[in-house]
Amino acid sequence: MSSKVACSHCHIKFDESVMIKEEEHYFCCSGCKGVFHLLQDRGLNSFYDKSKDIELSMQNQNLEDSSTFDSQSFYDKFVKTNSDGFCEVSLIIEGIHCSACVWLNEKVLHKMDGIIDANINFTNNKATIVWVDDIVKLSAIIDTIRSIGYNAFAYDSLAQELHANKERKSYYLKMAVAIFASMNTMWIAVAQYAGYFSGITQDIKTILNIAEGILATPVLFYSGWVFFRGAYYGYKNRVVNMDMLVATGATLTYMYSLYITISQRGEAYFDSVSMIITFVLIGKFLEVLSKKNAADTLDKIANSIPSEVKILKENRIITMKLDDVSIGDIVIVSSGERVLLDGEIIKGSGSFDESNLTGESEHIYKSAGMSVISGTLSVDADIYFRATKDFKHSTLSNIVKLLESAINKKPKIQQMANRLSEHFSSIILGLSLLTFFLWWLWTNNFETSLMVAISVIIIACPCALALATPVATLVGLGLGASRGVLFKEAAGLEIMAKTDTLVLDKTGTITVGKPEVVKEHILEEFDKTLLYSLALSSKHPVAKGVANYLKNSDENSCDIVFDEFSQLPALGLKAKLGNIELLGGNKKLLDENKIEIDFLTQGTLFYFAIDKRVVAIYELEDRVKDGVKEFIKSIKKMNIDVVMLTGDNQNIANRVAQKVGIKNILSEQTPQSKAEYINRLSSEKKTVVMVGDGINDILALASADIGIVMGSGSDIAVEVGDVVLLNSSIKSLEDAFKISRTTFGLIKQNLGISLIYNALTIPLAMAGYVIPLVAAISMSASSLLVVGNSMRIRYKWNRE
Amino acid sequence: MEQGVDMDSWVIAMMLGASLLLGATALVAFLWAIKNGQFDDEEKFLNAAKFDGEDELNDAIKKEQKKENLKKSYRPE
Repeated sequence: MSSKVACSHCHIKFDESVMIKEEEHYFCCSGCKGVFHLLQDRGLNSFYDKSKDIELSMQNQNLEDSSTFDSQSFYDKFVKTNSDGFCEVSLIIEGIHCSACVWLNEKVLHKMDGIIDANINFTNNKATIVWVDDIVKLSAIIDTIRSIGYNAFAYDSLAQELHANKERKSYYLKMAVAIFASMNTMWIAVAQYAGYFSGITQDIKTILNIAEGILATPVLFYSGWVFFRGAYYGYKNRVVNMDMLVATGATLTYMYSLYITISQRGEAYFDSVSMIITFVLIGKFLEVLSKKNAADTLDKIANSIPSEVKILKENRIITMKLDDVSIGDIVIVSSGERVLLDGEIIKGSGSFDESNLTGESEHIYKSAGMSVISGTLSVDADIYFRATKDFKHSTLSNIVKLLESAINKKPKIQQMANRLSEHFSSIILGLSLLTFFLWWLWTNNFETSLMVAISVIIIACPCALALATPVATLVGLGLGASRGVLFKEAAGLEIMAKTDTLVLDKTGTITVGKPEVVKEHILEEFDKTLLYSLALSSKHPVAKGVANYLKNSDENSCDIVFDEFSQLPALGLKAKLGNIELLGGNKKLLDENKIEIDFLTQGTLFYFAIDKRVVAIYELEDRVKDGVKEFIKSIKKMNIDVVMLTGDNQNIANRVAQKVGIKNILSEQTPQSKAEYINRLSSEKKTVVMVGDGINDILALASADIGIVMGSGSDIAVEVGDVVLLNSSIKSLEDAFKISRTTFGLIKQNLGISLIYNALTIPLAMAGYVIPLVAAISMSASSLLVVGNSMRIRYKWNRE
Repeated sequence: MEQGVDMDSWVIAMMLGASLLLGATALVAFLWAIKNGQFDDEEKFLNAAKFDGEDELNDAIKKEQKKENLKKSYRPE
């Protein structure tokens, strides 16, 4: 018996007998051996110390020619020129297992001539490479990465993504400064307060004030810059926003404290300046963190459409940019590809999946002379067609245009905190002004009046108000994430809580979305392995459904290789094994082979015949998901109207609706009419949640106040949706509603707490009773109350 | 007596100044590290603490030098 040994490069264990032996090293394949020697030659042995026993991928891969990376079109799309004039590309490195892999790649790249910088992120395997194009070409760089056993793909790093990262980084910097200064101010403040009660000389007080002032300066002017900017934009739009209150409050306090420090009289409030800015900045950062960018979504959609098509010109197949195709060009589409232009078939036939346009789940068979529509998917058709419209006027680009306008026009429901803070800010600024004048009239002392007026602003510190919403939504987002509900935007929670109409798509949302066998009729005994292998060879959903059924119900899962096998478009499958002929497909297939059978039901049928005798019939149906009926009931209890939309015909729609208990149904809907329906509901001042999963739902999803997408849905739909249900279950849809309502309740409570706090303390401040210690303590206390209240909800939910 | 108070103030001012300066130095280093992208990839900077040795420091210097050289010789106008 031979023992197993590990490959010296990839550490995967194999039998000793199959390994390539070389001195004391063993290799599983020549690929690994090559990499091993390469690393040795370059003195990069320490890679193996770093990678330890982690198993890497084996090195025998077949890769596409790297010279395509040097083509102009590739450079146009992926390579950018950075500010120094060097080339920069973003790659995804495949095959990174451990930090040693990152180390190796960076090391090897840094050693290359002409490479200025290579930076690989271990967490997401994204790499940024900067190089001088005159010295080294991109193809050489990628070849190098491949030579050490990894592979690289280019990806388009979006402008928005870069922008978001930059914004986040600038917040990190600002928060670091603010938190550092506030923490230091706090311990200086302890000395101040101790001195306030037990006595302190003016000298010491001034020194402490100066120290606090030095700390508060960068906080106000560097970290607090966002508030000045926000206040300025607010001023331009004639709104008194929270930023205005924070900016004026902090600046006035700062000025006043400066005056106190210089005149060496009274109490300075520098600690309040730092604390207000720090707290509100943290709240703002939490908000930025959970914001979604509409432009980002559109970019991703545009990117998901291939930019090139195959064209037949002068008997040669060439690839051409989508925008350059003119009317009359002959376009080639193979099975499994998406049709990108409208046209008329001139050669070939096959079935097309038009579900993203019509919502019809059945495939449509098309042959020469018939028209194809852009955006549809060729299931099994290899066709040549003549373009009848250019891309700009095609159905597909029309849909993209509609989608753009739907996303941009998306109804904006103002968040409660924003609405509240507008009034709040004006009221506070007004009250403090009033206080100032009243005190001035009364005492005729400018200094005292100013101090009292400022104490009103400080005590009305919007910290708690600014934290009320972000902290609550953060708790909500966390609750959602732990239950497979992904809210892309924090505001989504609040909007969803106000929903009064729920619109559900049928396929994929209420039903599973794939046909499943509901009944099996065996007419004659036969070997089920034959049918299983036959069904497994096809990608058609019906055949897949049958294969799944057989896999679940029987153990005969061994695969037979047929002597002959063919897929008959829109009919079914045909295969030969020895001299047995197998047929599997629909009624038409039987008709064509002159097999007669008497069998009538409502569902989709799959017939299986051996040697022209039908031996089994399978009834398939798109099954309703578990728990839908209970869900509809509980939703109706929340006073939400439920509507079902579907592209399927009235019959199917009615049957499903009856099963789950929905009364409002709209059948035979196109993507556009679905979106129109949503718009009509919105114009009736309804807050609409749309749930869907397919491309045919994206317009409606984008038009609704909240679009919820099943995680199993198409990528574009997931991109457009505001909420993603990761496990695609109805249970998590119900959770989404519950979480949003809980969170909204929490927001209201938090806002209530901070308002009550203000209602109690502002009169005290106006009366001039507030001493600095009370101001500082109550400021922190109200913020802590808000945070604590939010945590309470989380523990309550987690215990359930 | 008057002298004593002045002395106290002076000591406190010194200590405050010194500690704030030290803290500020650390803060500046931290800001530099954030700007430099050293915290962008948490895995990487944790591993750097584990693995980085003399070689890595030498490499980093070499990399900087190479970058400077290339920038000088290939600066597009």
